[in-house]
Amino acid sequence: MKKVITGDHAVALGAKLCRVDVVPAYPITPQTLIIEHIADFVNDGEMDAKFLTMESEHSVMSAAAAASAAGARVFTATSSQGLAFMYEMLYATAPMRLPIVMANANRTLAAPPGIWCEYNDSMGVRDSGWLQVYVEDNQEALDMVIQSFRIAEDKRVLLPVMPCLDGFVLTHTVEPVDVPQQEDVDSFLSPYAPDIMLDPARPTMIGIFMPAEYIMELRRQTMGAVESAKKVIGEINDEFAKVFGRNYGGMIDTYMMEDAEVALVTMGTVTSTSREVVDELRKVGKKVGLVKLRFFRPFPVDELRKALSGVSAVGVFDRSISYHGGGPAFNEIQSALYGMTMPVVNHLAGIGGRDVTREQIIKMFEITIKAGKGEKVNTINWHNTRGETV
Amino acid sequence: MFEVRFHGRGGQGAVMAAQALAEAAVIEGNYAVAFPFFGAERRGAPVLAFTRIDAKKIYSKTQVYSPDCVVVLDDSLLDTIDVVAGLKPGGSVVINSRDKPEDIDLGISVKTAAVDATSVALEILKAPITNTAILGAFAKATGIIKLESLEEAIKRRFGEKLGEKVAERNSLAARTAYGKTVIGKSKGIKKLEPKKQWLPTYQELPAGGSLVEGKTDAGLIGPGSFIENKVMGWATFRPVRDREKCTMCLLCWFYCPEGTIVRISDRGDLMTNYDYCKGCGVCANECPVDAIKMVRARV
Ligand code: SF4
Ligand code: SF4
Repeated sequence: MKKVITGDHAVALGAKLCRVDVVPAYPITPQTLIIEHIADFVNDGEMDAKFLTMESEHSVMSAAAAASAAGARVFTATSSQGLAFMYEMLYATAPMRLPIVMANANRTLAAPPGIWCEYNDSMGVRDSGWLQVYVEDNQEALDMVIQSFRIAEDKRVLLPVMPCLDGFVLTHTVEPVDVPQQEDVDSFLSPYAPDIMLDPARPTMIGIFMPAEYIMELRRQTMGAVESAKKVIGEINDEFAKVFGRNYGGMIDTYMMEDAEVALVTMGTVTSTSREVVDELRKVGKKVGLVKLRFFRPFPVDELRKALSGVSAVGVFDRSISYHGGGPAFNEIQSALYGMTMPVVNHLAGIGGRDVTREQIIKMFEITIKAGKGEKVNTINWHNTRGETV
Repeated sequence: MFEVRFHGRGGQGAVMAAQALAEAAVIEGNYAVAFPFFGAERRGAPVLAFTRIDAKKIYSKTQVYSPDCVVVLDDSLLDTIDVVAGLKPGGSVVINSRDKPEDIDLGISVKTAAVDATSVALEILKAPITNTAILGAFAKATGIIKLESLEEAIKRRFGEKLGEKVAERNSLAARTAYGKTVIGKSKGIKKLEPKKQWLPTYQELPAGGSLVEGKTDAGLIGPGSFIENKVMGWATFRPVRDREKCTMCLLCWFYCPEGTIVRISDRGDLMTNYDYCKGCGVCANECPVDAIKMVRARV
């Protein structure tokens, strides 16, 4: 059934279709519509979940951890300052192997205070052990909530997953979304049945104190779980495609990469706009292609090396800055491509919610094409930033 | 692809209008996207919303810069905003106004459809929320969407949230406005000087973005600069206080979001500075003795 809905509404419907048991919630723009929709579903008897209104995001994640440890399927959503306020509990939930799913509506993290899209909120928690996936439209937002539960609860993974959607650009945009049938979701996602959980009948300790004799092993174990998620993500993507007819490519997606000479790596909604720009540039004979970085954790090292092996230059879009120079995606891609010889240039744009226009994306391609021809270009390019020339 | 830009004020429902239009286009078998662009959320402040309609899936996630049609929910915006900026050649404007198209000066002469959507809304909805009425005018002016599809979309969007009655009334507002819309050509005389904005480079921006009182080419910045942001043009209504009834409880003074009700201490009285009153009606709503009446500000 096609519904014309916002990204937030799509995410809420995803949570409902996953039959989540517990939703601890705290509002923050631009995520608020998600929990408002869920509150409505619960209130109207359409969703059989415990809706907990908490006094802060830190408490939200604490309640989520407790409920998940007790064997409940848990969903919540947050954004920006809310995510920052959860910081401590994010680092607790992943090594405890609690398969919580939390949508993050990407929003600039103050200062300066603002409400629009930037990735500096979720990028700041990229080493918490949470898996992260960035989506480009409302359909993918809904679908990835469903896939996230499958990935999170897979016995080879057992890690929390954070589907990230661009604040306002998706959260408040309506577009047609194919809402899956409940029966189909039910057969795709079975009820959560953990092997270990807090159960008075079978006393268990979760998240125990560990001295140095154990922590290295626990970290290594968590790293192993993140690594095995790569395979699981691929499998679940393929299975989802078979059942629902939508294939997102798994760790990354590619567009017109078969014969591309130059590639741009994008995340989130800029990918969507870039697809049109690629079509446009192809029409005038420019052999350009697109790689969409979907999962940031686990990081698709092998997939990127393979997809980018034939190009003469790589441009990397970033919607936040890592204060060592470029953006986080750029840093990690440079490291992933280590040993490969093509130039990699960084395109910073859309920070603080500034609109990333067609013209800016064309400019990103132009600079990357120049780099591919061996011409001198800046490695870090601040697009459309007063006082900078690109 | 057909692109629409809506100009309205916070609270007038521009976003809802953009969404209902997208829904109507989908009902007709097209693909459509609608999205808002706000400044800091504030009732009465200018807002933008966009709708894109196409036969195939739309990938573009940018704002609309060259619309095929511009919809203006509040003609007081014409004084400060160049609503026709970027309008495609052959494009049109749909405007909520009591004037005939020929009397509306947009700075260029373009196809213009005018309807007094405020009066339609006040009559049918009992509130100056003009979004559904203006969509009726849009349907008539552009022919991009059928009135029936629009009514169906309004019923779906409003029905789900606000109930069938509200949906039916909004649908009636669209139909009524459709009937009353006058199509013609705007005047193209005035030269709108776009308001200058202070846009420093990163080198010019004071450290941390901290501002002290300052004067720039684009006007004042920092503390006290609010004085330049007169908002009386936003108001459809303005508050009038009945001194006899007023008990000086000061609730209106406390609740006014613009801080424009001032205490005149030596007289033990209140004064509303209309320059900064956006006509939100909060004061009238809060007054425990109904001493404040909201009267129509623009005729
Ligand atoms: S004076 Fe009344 S109507 Fe005017 S801004 Fe203040 S509260 Fe709103
Ligand atoms: S709220 Fe009403 S009674 Fe109180 S001071 Fe204002 S006008 Fe007077």
